[in-house]
Amino acid sequence: MTAKAILIKRLHPIIESVLAGVIGLMIGAVIMLAYGYNPVAAYVSLFQGSFGSFYSWAESLANATPLILTALTFAVAMRGGLFNIGAEGQLYIGALAAVAVSLIHLPSPIHIVMALFAAMLAGMVWSLPVALLKLTRGVHEVISTIMFNWIAYFLALYVIAHVLTDPIRGEKTISIVETSRLARILPGTTLNYGLIIAIIAAVVVLFVLWRTTVGFELRVSGHNPVAARYAGISQRRQILTVLLIGGATAGLAGAVQVMGRPPTYAVLSGLPQLINLGFDGIGVAMIGRNHPIGIIVAAIFFGGLMAGGRIMQFSPGVPLELVRVIEGVIILTLAVPELRNLLGSFWRRFAKKKVHDGS
Amino acid sequence: MKVFRIKLAAVLFMVVAVVGGPLVGTAQAAGKVALVIDVGGRGDLSFNDMGFKGADEAVAKFGMELVEIQSNSAADYLPNLQNAARSNAFDLIIGVGFLLADAMAEVTDQFPNQKFAIIDVTWLGKPNLQEVGFEEHKGSALVGALGAMVAAHYGYDKIGVVLGIEIPVLYKFEAGYRFGLHWGNAKTAEVTGKAADVGLLWTYTGTFSDIAKGKMATQAMLAQGAGLIYNVAGPLGIGDLEAITEHLEAKGKTAGPPFMIGVDANQDYLGDGHRVLASMMKRVDYGVYSVIESVANGTFKSGVRILGPGNGGIAISRQQDLGDFIDFGIKGGAISENDRSQITANWRAMRAAVPAWIWEAVEELEGKISSGEAKVPCDWCADSIKAIRAQYPD
Repeated sequence: MTAKAILIKRLHPIIESVLAGVIGLMIGAVIMLAYGYNPVAAYVSLFQGSFGSFYSWAESLANATPLILTALTFAVAMRGGLFNIGAEGQLYIGALAAVAVSLIHLPSPIHIVMALFAAMLAGMVWSLPVALLKLTRGVHEVISTIMFNWIAYFLALYVIAHVLTDPIRGEKTISIVETSRLARILPGTTLNYGLIIAIIAAVVVLFVLWRTTVGFELRVSGHNPVAARYAGISQRRQILTVLLIGGATAGLAGAVQVMGRPPTYAVLSGLPQLINLGFDGIGVAMIGRNHPIGIIVAAIFFGGLMAGGRIMQFSPGVPLELVRVIEGVIILTLAVPELRNLLGSFWRRFAKKKVHDGS
Repeated sequence: MKVFRIKLAAVLFMVVAVVGGPLVGTAQAAGKVALVIDVGGRGDLSFNDMGFKGADEAVAKFGMELVEIQSNSAADYLPNLQNAARSNAFDLIIGVGFLLADAMAEVTDQFPNQKFAIIDVTWLGKPNLQEVGFEEHKGSALVGALGAMVAAHYGYDKIGVVLGIEIPVLYKFEAGYRFGLHWGNAKTAEVTGKAADVGLLWTYTGTFSDIAKGKMATQAMLAQGAGLIYNVAGPLGIGDLEAITEHLEAKGKTAGPPFMIGVDANQDYLGDGHRVLASMMKRVDYGVYSVIESVANGTFKSGVRILGPGNGGIAISRQQDLGDFIDFGIKGGAISENDRSQITANWRAMRAAVPAWIWEAVEELEGKISSGEAKVPCDWCADSIKAIRAQYPD
C-alpha cells in the first residue's frame, strides 16, 4: 500500500464520523425548528457549554470520565466477540464497594487505592456469574447481563436503604470520607482526578489488547472464532478474560463517579448520578469504534453534549426533554457507521454458518 | 415534488424567521429568575410542578423572566447552579427541593454576591441564601384530626398513613398526624358523647417512586379496616388511590369512604373528585412566589423563613383552591376540561356529606395551632420520634 492509501484508510473513519455528526446536527435542527426553537442559538450555546470556555471544557471532561471506563467494558467485549451490556450493573456495585471502603480508616493515598481496588474487584465479581452462566449453561451474555443489571439495581437500593445508610439522611449512603476522595483538578468545577484514572485504564487496555499475547488471542477470537479455534486459542478463556476486564473497568467507573464527583460523595437512593452511565458507555464505544483512543475522544464529545445540554436549557430555553432528543439523534447518527459494521459482521457470520450447515 | 418544494420553502421561511427574530430585539424584562429542579423533574403534579407554578405566577406578576433548568442526573445539580450563577444574568436562583442542599451549600460560598433561595432546606445558614421551610407537622395534625373524626363518623376504627423513605422530614408528618388523631378522637368524644378510639396504621414504604408499594401498603390498611389513608410519599398517592378505587369498585361504589388525603399539592380533584377528602397543602408555589416577590420589591432577606398555617404556607384544601388545581391537573394532563363540572359537583357532595361540626373542629384546631394554644410535636424530631410515638400511640 502506498502512503497515500494508508492515509486514506486512516482518515476514512474520521471523515465518516464527521459526516454522520453533521447529518445528526441537521436533523436536530429540523426537530428544534418544528418545536419553534432557534437551532442556531441552541447550537451556539451547546458549543459554548461544552467546549466554549475553560470551565465548560472542565465540565465536559468531568462527564467524560465515567463514560471512558464503561465504554471500555463494552469495547473489550466487542473486540473479543461478546456483546457485554453489563457495565450498568457492575458500575452500581463498584460504586457501593467504593463507599463501603469508607467504613475503615486509612491514610489518604492508601485509602483511595484500596477503594479503587475494591470497586474493580466488586465489578469483576459481579461479572463472574455472567461468565459462568455462559461457560457452563451457554446462556447468552445479552440476556444474563440485562438480568444482572436489574439485580444490581435493586440490590443497590437495598444497600442504600439498609446497609450503608447515612444515619441522619436516609435517602443516601454514608458519604465517602475525606481520605478516600479524589481531589478536584480545577477548583469550582466538578473535574477531578478520576479523569487521570480513566485515561490510565484506557492506556492499559490499549496495551493489553495490542501488545500482549492475551490481547492478540482475544482479538483473533473476536475477529474470526473459527480461525481462533483452529489456532488452538481457548474460547472459554477469552470469555472469562473479556468479562473480567470489563467488570474491572465498569467497577472503576462507579468508583470514580462517587469518589470524585462533588458535592455529596455518596450513592443516592434511585442512583441518580449513576443511572445510564453504563448504557451511555455503549454509545461512546460505538462512536469510538471500540478503540481506546477513539473512546477517549468520543467520551469527551459525549460529555460535551451533556454539559452543553445544560446550557441549551437556559440560553435559548430548550426544555431538557427536547435537549435529550437532540442529543439522542446526534449520538444515533454517529453510531450508524459502527452499527453498520457490526450488523455486517454478524450477517457474514450468520451466512457462513448457513454454508457450514450445508443448507 | 411540488409538495416537497412547498415544504422546503416553509422550512426555509421558518429558518429565516427564527434566525432573524432575535436580531430585531425583545422587550427588556424587569429581572430574571432561574429555577433549578432536581431529578424528580416536572410533571409530578406535586412538589416540582408546584414550585414551577409559583415561579410562573410571580414572573408574570412582576414582569420578570423565568428560566427553568431541570437536572438529568444528580451530577448536574452543582453545574446547573454554577452555570446559572456564572452567567451573571439572574437576580435570583432558586433550588427546588432538599436534594439540592449539598450543591447549594457549595455554590452559595462560591458566588457570595448572587442571591439564592432553596425550598425545604433550613440548615445551611449562608448570608446570600434564603431557606424556605414548611411546618408540615402542623398541616399533618389538621388532616389527622379530620381523618379521626371522619373515620369515627363513618364507623371505621382505623386511619392509615403511607409514608416514603424513613427520613427525619417525614417524622414531622408522622408526628403531626399522630397528634391530630388523638385530638380528633377527643373532639369526637366531646361532641357525640361517645368514647372514640380510632387507631393508627402506618407504613414507611422506603420509596418515593415505586407506586406499586403505595398500592400494596394501602390494600393492607384497607383490609385492616382503615377508613382513610394519608399519602406522604409523593407519587405513591397514585397507587394509594388506585387501591381505594378498586376497594370501592368491589363493593359497587365509586365515592368514598374510604378516602385518601392528598399531600403537597391540592389533590382533591383526583379520584373523580369524591375519593380524596382533602389535601394537606404545602404551598411550595407560595414559598417560591414570595421569595421572587421579595427580590422584585427589594426586600430579599437571607436566613430561614418558616411557612405554616398562620402565613399561607400550610393549609387544608378548600373550595377556592379546587378550581385552581383543576387547571393545574388539566395542564399536567391528569384530567381534561370536560371533567371539571363533574369533579366539582362530586367534591361538593363529598364535603357536604361530612357533618359541619367536623369542619368547624378542624378550623378550631387550625386557629389553636396558629395562636400557639395547641402545641404540635416535632419541629425536627430525628432523635425524639420514639418518645412521640409513645406519647401518641397507634
